[in-house]
Amino acid sequence: MPLVKTPKPTFAQKLKRFFMIDLLKGMGLTLKYNLGAITDKDAVAGKGIYTEQYPKVRPDVAPRFHGAPRLNMDPETHDTLCIACNLCAIACPEDCIDVIAMDVEIVVAGKPRRKKVLDEFIFDTSRCMFCALCQEACPTSCLELTQDFELATYSRAGFVWNREMLEQGRETVKYTS
Amino acid sequence: MLLLAPVDVLNELLLKFFSADTVNYFIWPLIQIGLVVTLVALWVAYATYLERKISAFMQARLGPMRVGPWGLLQPIADGLKLLTKEDFIPEKADRWIFFFAPYIAVASAFIVFSVIPFGPDWAVIADVNIGLLLVLAVSSVGVLALILAGWSSNSKYALLGGLRSSAQMVSYEVAMGLSLIGSLMFSRTLSLSGMVAAQGSDSIWYILYQPAGFLIFLISGIAENNRAPFDLPEAESELVAGFHTEYSGMRWSLFFMAEYAAMVVVAAVATTVYLGGWYFPFVYGLEASGYHNLYVLVSVLVFLVKASIILYIYFWLRWTLPRFRYDQLMDIGWKWLIPSALINIVLSAFAVFLVQGLNGWRGIQTIEAIDRGLNLTATGKGVMIAFGIAGLFITGALLARINWRSRDFNLKTQRRNIRLVNVPKGKPARA
Repeated sequence: MPLVKTPKPTFAQKLKRFFMIDLLKGMGLTLKYNLGAITDKDAVAGKGIYTEQYPKVRPDVAPRFHGAPRLNMDPETHDTLCIACNLCAIACPEDCIDVIAMDVEIVVAGKPRRKKVLDEFIFDTSRCMFCALCQEACPTSCLELTQDFELATYSRAGFVWNREMLEQGRETVKYTS
Repeated sequence: MLLLAPVDVLNELLLKFFSADTVNYFIWPLIQIGLVVTLVALWVAYATYLERKISAFMQARLGPMRVGPWGLLQPIADGLKLLTKEDFIPEKADRWIFFFAPYIAVASAFIVFSVIPFGPDWAVIADVNIGLLLVLAVSSVGVLALILAGWSSNSKYALLGGLRSSAQMVSYEVAMGLSLIGSLMFSRTLSLSGMVAAQGSDSIWYILYQPAGFLIFLISGIAENNRAPFDLPEAESELVAGFHTEYSGMRWSLFFMAEYAAMVVVAAVATTVYLGGWYFPFVYGLEASGYHNLYVLVSVLVFLVKASIILYIYFWLRWTLPRFRYDQLMDIGWKWLIPSALINIVLSAFAVFLVQGLNGWRGIQTIEAIDRGLNLTATGKGVMIAFGIAGLFITGALLARINWRSRDFNLKTQRRNIRLVNVPKGKPARA
């Protein structure tokens, strides 16, 4: 008699053990995954392959994802949409935006006027928490947080983006093969 | 004849320079050996690729994808990487044994391919009439390499791995050899080509006569190759990497190659003995219509496909089942596989005896011919297949009865020992 009391197996359990049903079940499971992976075309989660071919194929980020900032420009004239109102800098809870404006002389209806335009725009992505409050505050839909997420650089200074970087976007290596 | 004409052209060209004997007994065998070594090396390399791919698919991953299309050049990249790595020998290792152990492993795995019939005619290097015996003898030398590697590394993990592998291989070697005897009763020859011919002339695969033998051979083959779920000698979680813990670079990859080559050997032998080898119902049509070389090539392909299916079972089992505990491993070897192999021999002998007795009794014809193996008529085949499948259940039930609570017997002896030491007689011991 064994020292440890074990519940006696029923006849059905004995039969199950004799024919190794559990082993066959396990084999069936792995076979199902294997066949699913081979026949799967577009990697539907739960049926086929989960792996994303990241640098080659860009992953689909969620629609509400906030990533790298961008300063939008007028698509026709390529002038910046920013009116240097400083609302984004005020809205920013992390205080990571600096809007530097300057005055320019322009002639409106034959009279000389002074106009406040954007000179430089500093955006510190290392302090940014991507809350997109600046995007909400912007009256001209100029500042926008895009879905680009590759923000790593080699130095702390690289995290501070100036106007040119914000307008053109950063150069990233695109892998094709 | 038109297909692969260069073979004949080459033969004529060689006959201009050498005598017929030299060409037939020296040059062509060398070409055959080169072809087989190339084929097997490629097969082994791509077995690693396939294993990685299949394991990835079973875990909903992609596996190697970056080197070449679908990662097809990955084995070559791996080989190059390993070639350029440092071949490190530990300071206190036994240098020469450490040096030679991988070569023994690879050689013992590759020599076996000299008798494997990949196909008819020129696709077999040597048709030895003790082929099966040679396969078993040479492949069991592989254990020597593991023991030597484990011992010479001067490392505890490697030594434990070597010990485990020797115990495991010795206990499973017996079941492996015994399980093949049943099919020898039908083929009446030890030559592997002869076994394929016997299955061809009987137009049946011996897996139908010998399902129990096939299962025992496959399980003990997996255990013999130290593959999961029997990979105790290289159990990562316990022994780092087992016997090849201290190996690196090309020497390590030689062990790896030997492991995969041994797997291919078992798959090839299982194919030859149980799945009809290169024999396939329609290949004779090609021979009849005169395409001899095409017939050989198709036969080789059929053989490779059959062996690959068995290799797939290897991968499939590895990525499904967890590792056995060491006592469970020995239990399966000694309490289940060896007795069931013995029962299988007795049952098959009885079946053959019965079929012979039935032949001519009340006009029943069971045996057609016995000159090329045991050729049975449809009735005889029915009897034999019924016996084979019934034998599976008889063996299982009998051993389940015998091994029922076999673990308790050990507990009994343990308690008796305890009682002898501490407890006065008449009182039951408590653990």
